[in-house]
Amino acid sequence: MRNKIKKKGIKLIAAAMILMVTALALAGCGSDNEIKIGSKDFGENIVLGEMFAQLIESNTDLKVTRKLNMGGTFVCFEALKKGDIDIYPEYTGTGLTAQLKLDVVGDPEEAYRIVSEEFDKQFGITWLTPLGLNNTYTLAVSNEVYEKYGVETYSDLAKVSGDLVFGADHEFFNRQDGFEGLVNVYGFQFKGEPKKMDISLKYQAIGNGDMDVTDIFATDGPIRQYNLKVLTDDKGFFPPYYAAPIIRNETLEKHPELKDILNQLGGMIDDATMTELNYLVDVEGQSVESVALNFLSAQGLI
Amino acid sequence: MSNLTPLIIEHLLIVLAAVAISAVIGVSLGILSYWVRPLDKIILWVAEIIQTIPTLALLAMLMILFGLGNITIIAGLVLYALMPIIRNTYIGLEAIPAHLKDAARGMGMSKPQQLIKIEIPFSLPLIFSGIKIALVNSLSIAVMGVLIGAGGLGYPIYRGIQTNSLERILSGAIPVVLMAMILDYLMTKMEKWMVRKSPQN
Amino acid sequence: MGGNAVMTFVAFCIDHQKDIFNCLVRHFQLVGISVAAGMLIAIPLGIFLSRFKHFALAVLRLAGMVQTIPGLVMLGFALLLFGIGLPPALFVLSIYAILPILQNTYTGITEVEKSYIEAAKGIGMTNGQILRKIEIPLALSSIVGGIRTSVVFTVSWATLAGLIGAGGLGDLIWTGLSTYNTNYILAGAVPSAIVAIALSGLISIIQKSITPRGLKGVSV
Repeated sequence: MRNKIKKKGIKLIAAAMILMVTALALAGCGSDNEIKIGSKDFGENIVLGEMFAQLIESNTDLKVTRKLNMGGTFVCFEALKKGDIDIYPEYTGTGLTAQLKLDVVGDPEEAYRIVSEEFDKQFGITWLTPLGLNNTYTLAVSNEVYEKYGVETYSDLAKVSGDLVFGADHEFFNRQDGFEGLVNVYGFQFKGEPKKMDISLKYQAIGNGDMDVTDIFATDGPIRQYNLKVLTDDKGFFPPYYAAPIIRNETLEKHPELKDILNQLGGMIDDATMTELNYLVDVEGQSVESVALNFLSAQGLI
Repeated sequence: MSNLTPLIIEHLLIVLAAVAISAVIGVSLGILSYWVRPLDKIILWVAEIIQTIPTLALLAMLMILFGLGNITIIAGLVLYALMPIIRNTYIGLEAIPAHLKDAARGMGMSKPQQLIKIEIPFSLPLIFSGIKIALVNSLSIAVMGVLIGAGGLGYPIYRGIQTNSLERILSGAIPVVLMAMILDYLMTKMEKWMVRKSPQN
Repeated sequence: MGGNAVMTFVAFCIDHQKDIFNCLVRHFQLVGISVAAGMLIAIPLGIFLSRFKHFALAVLRLAGMVQTIPGLVMLGFALLLFGIGLPPALFVLSIYAILPILQNTYTGITEVEKSYIEAAKGIGMTNGQILRKIEIPLALSSIVGGIRTSVVFTVSWATLAGLIGAGGLGDLIWTGLSTYNTNYILAGAVPSAIVAIALSGLISIIQKSITPRGLKGVSV
């Protein structure tokens, strides 16, 4: 009797183990015909990543795995270098300053040429054709601040910065083209310690009056929603940030067709279009999948 | 709202994989602490220390080792799950009545024989209960995986936080809490069944 | 190579000591305020529940359910309610602080042996006296155990506060995660782990020292 029960128990455990190990195997690995698409952790980059994914899915038999909303620039870039992902959307200015740690280059074509060459040489990564939009970093103030101080440019802002609280995402404080460089060029002295938060929460924070000045991307959807005043970078601190898919050379060698497929998007998305798509996702709360799908089918790409 | 099913499956797979590994390691360590007396305090102490480490801190440190993705969250869950499994295995083995152990020894059983024939079957309900606790906790902790690039139900929750959308947060949170409740209910039933069938009764 | 990485990290910490110190102080503030709030709410509520046991089961079950809600989800709720900054962080942390103290206060008081209370009544003690002189002292060890769990929880969840602009050691971890910078990750993760382990150890020493002699060995 006792033996029987014991056997039952052991069988039960064995069955559970087999189930769990299968689960492990399934959770762990991928295959050779898998393309992993990553993105940074904000609406626009997620939408672009989703577009790449849908475009590849509809044009090939490859299995597309989405690793969207992964984290900041450096997170995606490390993952790309390691091969945890194959493709993600990047911006020329970011590639230049944050990754290559080079000085700002004002001419967009020159910037693109430098990042294409250096990424290929140093990291084995290819920049595909730019999508058209220039999602530059810039500074914005809340409407109340604008009405009170009448600031139009960064230099205007510097004069009153002692009264204003600055806040930004964690990444901004840790890049060449970020907070420190900006402070050095314009001499900002903001009130108290700058506030740090998740990149997507900046708008809520400035909307609630928790801070007065923040860094934004020129194509962000919520600029309009929160009625922010975008300031002029009068000393030209921020470089242009043209968006393009970047892909591992290794992946491109295995699947050369990806180049033409993704280059179909080249020049298709200008600033106004991107701002509109961002608005749909970030403000109207439409799903990333449907926004990407609607855009691609309206353009006749899928 | 996008389809949740793949996310639910991925979430479940991550948790099951982690708890499976942790069960193997944890039960072994539990047996080791039972066999090798001076080790028991150290093993239990280390497992408790690990559980005290803040989740985000542990995951971030593991990310340095394992990179972004599911492997890192699985590693983190394995570590967090150890404590209840080791503890319950150890307590279960300790609680076996002395006369049974004496009888087994008297029959000339070796230590591994005693373990397989007597001790494990007797402590099975408690070990199982440790695994249940680990599983239910892991379901909730696995949500944090999204912060280190892993998949699962953390994604809609994080996206909901970013876009200020209660609906998205709930679409990830409700399945997590439901799965935890269902598993807890089912496994508690199984545990009771085991206790009833246990050789002790 | 490994030694080199350690050296780099040490140099980084010396370089950023002011930042790390500020984050540490803020972390202690987050934990201190929320655990204090948790105690103020949970201990009286626990005592109340021990007097009205038919409520107790429902309330404790609810508390248990709330505890299974992942921290990230709670943070999301708080964000929707209170926006960015300290208030949502303190709200979430206080909720996590309340639950273990509530459970342990209730268990501690209800597990006081009936015979003690009968005896106290016999010598003419009022209910208030019984509470102050018998029940609370006997339940104290259990309550302190709850406080310990609360502290461990809040030290852990306070690292998430960095996500919503409330500062603390999480800020350093977030900076590290979003920029793939190992030094930042470690500068936030290592101190937060040490704080959690040290506070937990300290409180369990206090707990042992106040456990009534007759109850030693009965762990809670």
